[in-house]
Amino acid sequence: MTAPSRPAPAATVTEPPWVRGLLLAVALLFLLLFLVVPLAAVFYEAFRKGAGVYLAAITDPYALEAIRLTLFAAACAVPLNMLFGVVAAWAIAKFEFRGKSVLVTLIDLPFAVSPVIAGLLFVLLFGAQGWFGPWLKAQDIKVIFAVPGIVLATVFVTVPFVARELIPLMQAQGSEQEEAALVLGAGGWVTFWRITLPNIKWGLLYGVVLCTARALGEFGAVSVVSGHVRGLTNTLPLHVEILYNEYQFAAAFACASLLTLFALVILAIKTLIERRTARQRRPSSGETA
Amino acid sequence: MSIEIQGLHKRFGAFAALDDINLTIPAGQLVALLGPSGCGKTTLLRIIAGLETADRGNIFFDGEETSGRHVRDRQVGFVFQHYALFQHMTVFENIAFGLRVRPRASRPPEPRLRAKVEELLSLIQLESLAGRYPSQLSGGQRQRVALARALAVEPQVLLLDEPFGALDTKVRKELRRWLRRLHDELHVTSVFVTHDQEEALEVADQIVVMNCGRVEQIGTPEQVYDAPATPFVYQFLGHINLFHGRAHSGWVRLGGLRLRAPEYQDARHVPALAYVRPHDIDLLREPEDRDSTLTATVSRVSILGSLVRLELLQTPGGEIAEVEMTRERYAADPLKAGDLVFVKPRQLRVFLQQDAESTSPVHWGGHGDGI
Repeated sequence: MTAPSRPAPAATVTEPPWVRGLLLAVALLFLLLFLVVPLAAVFYEAFRKGAGVYLAAITDPYALEAIRLTLFAAACAVPLNMLFGVVAAWAIAKFEFRGKSVLVTLIDLPFAVSPVIAGLLFVLLFGAQGWFGPWLKAQDIKVIFAVPGIVLATVFVTVPFVARELIPLMQAQGSEQEEAALVLGAGGWVTFWRITLPNIKWGLLYGVVLCTARALGEFGAVSVVSGHVRGLTNTLPLHVEILYNEYQFAAAFACASLLTLFALVILAIKTLIERRTARQRRPSSGETA
Repeated sequence: MSIEIQGLHKRFGAFAALDDINLTIPAGQLVALLGPSGCGKTTLLRIIAGLETADRGNIFFDGEETSGRHVRDRQVGFVFQHYALFQHMTVFENIAFGLRVRPRASRPPEPRLRAKVEELLSLIQLESLAGRYPSQLSGGQRQRVALARALAVEPQVLLLDEPFGALDTKVRKELRRWLRRLHDELHVTSVFVTHDQEEALEVADQIVVMNCGRVEQIGTPEQVYDAPATPFVYQFLGHINLFHGRAHSGWVRLGGLRLRAPEYQDARHVPALAYVRPHDIDLLREPEDRDSTLTATVSRVSILGSLVRLELLQTPGGEIAEVEMTRERYAADPLKAGDLVFVKPRQLRVFLQQDAESTSPVHWGGHGDGI
């Protein structure tokens, strides 16, 4: 009896099964140890003392205040960086000017600099002993150890996300479609809304998602400028740290689980967008002949 | 609308893209800007459209200076080399775009707009594809959509940048005939850029031959092909045979050839170049007289459809020359590789090498009866 079988892949182009198995096992083991186990631990610890304690921890007034502040900082940072990202990417992709490479490098700066140093920068600038400190004090404006400082720090660390995402995309697209719209009589504003924005919308959304994730989870820079005033300048990540330091492990993990949930939701959105853009790009891949 | 271009200059850094361009395009004509890549033809087209600004010089549309007019107020239609269709819009919306973005006062109401777009769709014979996206179309279809989109705003001038450049040969031939017919129907003053001489010769009313940012010659296809003004035009349009020689006191000597050139009376042993088209050469079995023929051997015979091409090896210089003749003529006297022949150019043109501008044709021997 000769069973009709698929032709086995030629041994010359693929690895033997045991090699493939080994590679897969190593990758999976690594993921299990460093991602799945900690993730599970977060939720396990959060619920260890029961749902009652969990609920109490996340409805605690200070926790709610921290959630509110975290969302507020993100809500400030994300639109600002969206605007800046689009403007910067537009300038870099569509115009030639002196210092262009300097601008591109500067946009990457927040990635290169440690967040703690970023926080210290703001303390140096706006702190009581800082460059603008006396002037701010005279105007009765508090930046450091107050909400404005937290927003500033969050904006700083999330600057690169949108611009980084859009620059290569807009460079690849060139400006022919904008020129076509212009010749057809469209003004600059109309061209932006009807031609440029639809062309970059998925890239923009992707950048915004990454930016949001970072804004919600930022710890280092915010920690330096916050001053840890409960109910006033505590973001959710800082709140987790305080709870942990006070040995309230269940509450700390409950709040951490909230952050984790945010992250998972964002990850899901990101995957959806990636699938969407892959589908959008595929049919037009032979476009630039 | 007529276009007049006066003293146009454009530099990109140290590179002179356009150098003193003067050009008149009469209303209703289809004009080709022909030249090798990098000769400035696309830059000129973009300056006419207003997508680029000249450093110096003027462009007049119907006698009116345009430099103060913004691109969107110039009433030009522009077809981009890679079409630049709006990827996120259907064919219908692409064509309708120019009408939809008009100021409210001059925007046509929806039913009129639909009628207009449908009319254009039938003009480009793509009625059935109105709902498709550009990525779902073939190259030729995209090109036609780009053209319809440009025509939707009823431009006074239609500018096309390498309109058939990205298409395969067969589609390209179909489309350029279609473009010619379309132009005959619409009579919009049109300028198209091409590096393909065949395309320019077939489609255009007038050809502007450009090289290195300058206009080499302006004329009808017959004029630029039959009476090239400069060596460049000779080389760029059609095949040529090049003979090296010297001009001296009103005579030009090219290998064994010696012919009168009264206009070079003052020349003293000046290097000269002579250009002969492959179909302007007679091949004789017997020498006519000592000075009017060159001796050569046939090195190769290729039959190309209706034409026969013979490669000749000249005995003195060892240079290779190409001769083309019809099948009939070849059949009358079928030469074979290795045959000794006497080459008699029916029409050739001599340019002095030091001064390529002083041009004057040397007609010589029999009369060119053409093939």
